[in-house]
Amino acid sequence: MTLVGTSARRADGEDKVRGAARYGMDYLEHGTLVAKVLRSTVPAARITELDCSTAASMPGVRAVATAADAPGLSGLVIVKDQSLFATDVIRYVGEPLAAVAADTAEQAEAALAAIDVSLEPLEPVLDLEQSLAEGSRLIHPDWESYETAMPGTRGGNLAWESRVERGDVDAAFDRAHLVVEDEFRTQRQHQSPIEPHVAVARYEQGRYVVHTPTQFPFNVRGRIAELLGIRISDVRVIVPPIGGGFGGKLDVMVEPFACILTRKTGRPVRILNSRSEELATCGPRENAIVRLRTAVAADGTLLAQDGEVIADNGANSSGETVLVANVAPLVLGGTYRIPNARYASKVVYTNTPPTAAFRGVNGPYCVYAQEQHLDRIARELGMDRRTLRMKNLIRAGESMVNGQQLDDAFLTQAMDKVDEIRPWQDAHTERKPFRGVAVVPLTWITNPLPAGASIKLEEDGTATVTCAGAEIGTGAVTTGVLQIVAEQLGLRLEDVRVSPTDTDTGGYDGGAQGSRTTYGMGNAALDAATKVRDQVLEVAATMLEAGSDDLEIVDGTVRVAGVPDQQVAVASVVATAMFDSGPIGASGKFATPPIPFDSGCMAGAAVTSFAAPLYQAHMAEVEVDPETGRVTVLRYVVAQDVGRAINPQMIEGQIQGGVLQGIGYALFENLRLGDNGEVIDDDLESYRLPTAADAPPIDAAILENPCSYGPLGAKGAAEPPIIPVAAVIGCAVSDAIGKTMNELPLTPFSVLQAITEDQDRAVRSDQRHL
Amino acid sequence: MSHSFTLNGQPVDVAVAGMTSLLSVLRDQFGLLGAKLGCGEGRCGACTVLVDGEPVDSCIYPVANAEGAAVRTVEGLESHGEPLTRIQDALLEHGGVQCGACIPGVVMTLTALLETESSIDDSTIRSSLSGNICRCTGYQKIIDAAQAAANANGGPQ
Ligand code: FES
Ligand code: FES
Repeated sequence: MTLVGTSARRADGEDKVRGAARYGMDYLEHGTLVAKVLRSTVPAARITELDCSTAASMPGVRAVATAADAPGLSGLVIVKDQSLFATDVIRYVGEPLAAVAADTAEQAEAALAAIDVSLEPLEPVLDLEQSLAEGSRLIHPDWESYETAMPGTRGGNLAWESRVERGDVDAAFDRAHLVVEDEFRTQRQHQSPIEPHVAVARYEQGRYVVHTPTQFPFNVRGRIAELLGIRISDVRVIVPPIGGGFGGKLDVMVEPFACILTRKTGRPVRILNSRSEELATCGPRENAIVRLRTAVAADGTLLAQDGEVIADNGANSSGETVLVANVAPLVLGGTYRIPNARYASKVVYTNTPPTAAFRGVNGPYCVYAQEQHLDRIARELGMDRRTLRMKNLIRAGESMVNGQQLDDAFLTQAMDKVDEIRPWQDAHTERKPFRGVAVVPLTWITNPLPAGASIKLEEDGTATVTCAGAEIGTGAVTTGVLQIVAEQLGLRLEDVRVSPTDTDTGGYDGGAQGSRTTYGMGNAALDAATKVRDQVLEVAATMLEAGSDDLEIVDGTVRVAGVPDQQVAVASVVATAMFDSGPIGASGKFATPPIPFDSGCMAGAAVTSFAAPLYQAHMAEVEVDPETGRVTVLRYVVAQDVGRAINPQMIEGQIQGGVLQGIGYALFENLRLGDNGEVIDDDLESYRLPTAADAPPIDAAILENPCSYGPLGAKGAAEPPIIPVAAVIGCAVSDAIGKTMNELPLTPFSVLQAITEDQDRAVRSDQRHL
Repeated sequence: MSHSFTLNGQPVDVAVAGMTSLLSVLRDQFGLLGAKLGCGEGRCGACTVLVDGEPVDSCIYPVANAEGAAVRTVEGLESHGEPLTRIQDALLEHGGVQCGACIPGVVMTLTALLETESSIDDSTIRSSLSGNICRCTGYQKIIDAAQAAANANGGPQ
């Protein structure tokens, strides 16, 4: 074992630093037309007329597409309620009405302006609670007719509900020493990768060939097919290098427009979102309300919890919000022992842009709510906040709320590691006025979706991996998987390559999401590499007249262990095999083994368990400026279990990047909606992203607690670092100012308001004493 | 209208409207795709190139302003016989590259810093990067790389 566990340089790195990497946004074909989309400017209306005749005959205009061209209904797996274009009814500002392909961008824009739209306004439903209220206008009056992938509670403006119930919650509340109740509200957060959504499509031999920088090529392929009403295999998705995604490039977005227009024109069509289209129409992390009520014993033991999560779906289920609804109960009940629990996770329609997956999905706000709530419980009990957590933490062999036993739970170890780096006692005693500290443990999931990969050996003894795993930037495909393969095949890292991501050549892959690439694709590639290795050894054994068990492969040479001069180059083995048994190559595959859980306790759950669970703890020390309300993160500590660290430097990079995205979410990122449910922050001036000045010093410890079914023990690593950040910073701010903070983000304004409210109250009570 | 400047050391001449962005001239006229159109609003720095040694957001920089100037892009960096320049190499060595969409811009900003600043520390690096958004890395490894390249430099190049 020499390669796995080293911080090898990324194989695609040189191209990237030279500016030679050709991203989705750089991909061009000859004779390409430009596509633009006409989008609604109102949140709710009936379309009485959509006249494209003038637009269609304008100079340079090659085709116009409307709802008639995309008859299908789609959605991310669970509820099929999304049409590509608004059909009869408009449901949000930004909803596509028509699309145009023209020779130039200016001509396409001019054509959009010439499309005649007549509307009858409808009453918009914008607010989550208003949407669920009795008598609210239905956003999807035909909700019952939509196809769903599984049974679940739905109805009216409730798009989906997942429920988990364990034990006797009401009885536990009756005998509680203390009952605490809180409500939290959190905002939308936008992924905002540097590269916007972009696609080039071409219609060729009766199929659609789409170049698009997507995280999940097979999802985009299936969704295009669904929306256009064609066969899945009539679409081929090719993925160029991706300029960032963070969940924002999981769903189909601009691709179907390019497909329809290339079919109509017979020319390649390119569509590129502007930054304002990105912010205004590409699904962000949803805004949500979390209500928690908890029963506690006098010694701080958690007895029961009753929780309700209300998440904004926006106008349809094109994003992951419905699919992951049940992750909310799992994360609320996955870190602490809560013997009696009742959770309802509701996803609600509003006349706002659809929401979608952002790294960590609903984790960041559920954890934020849970941890603020626990700190309040600790304050009311007069108990140390870390002690309360340690007391209730799930230990190895204990179960999560779904009845899933966590045999490898590593939460206390993660908490202890953080404590070793920055002892809680010291941080606590060194506190000054307006400084705060907090520590948060967390159990999280590795996305369990399956993967396929194949490997062939070339005549020169090098290896090529073919797969449809998307290299989103983490290095998981171009380096992590290659490290695993090179190690297994006994080749040098530079002698193993991966061919471009293509749904025609690569086996199914569940996408670059939920930290699953190293885990899922790593397993599939390891399976293929093991078979290839066996083939090499079998041929070499004959060549070397030795038993294959006595052979080892080192740096591209097969040798008899302990007999250095009895050896043969892998290239010679390949040549011999070629005419003997045929070219060397094999396919590998992986599906997550079944994870036992208690299915009786859940309803409407698409995600039922935490596959390859991983454990971590985060700690933060903050300072609040009492004059301005500004929060400064002074110090940040992470201890994270990754199962097995394939490339420690890359994992560190994921931790640092995830934490800073979490700091943005905690302190300032807020994709606000206006009075029409439209995105207000549609440029990067008003939607501020974290800069180098916002990055605090981070101490990161990588823990190895192997997963029995992970490749070489590895589990997910990239997604979770964002999840506990808002919680730990929020709790540290609360500690600094002595107040529960019920809303994110913690802007200077909201923090200052919290401080002054306290001062006002103090002044008032002083006056009473006088 | 015609505009003349040097591009990566070569004299060039382009006939486009003066308000055309330098970025679209580089990408559309010269096929130099290293600088990226991240936002087109002067906010992300993915389009950063050097004009007379100064980093500029080429997406909002009118080509007319480059008249007579020396324009340098990531494609034109001189690595003095090495495969990569110091900062390019350091970015890879320190793991400062993830998706890489910000990286051509970051490389140009840090190249300018290394060429002009004699004493480089954490705060000069951070402030030089204030116009370059990296959504992936959390910046720490980019900062480590810049510091390492500066140390290897032993002062201005
Ligand atoms: S593309 Fe120029 S600053 Fe973003
Ligand atoms: S590496 Fe992705 S934006 Fe910087």
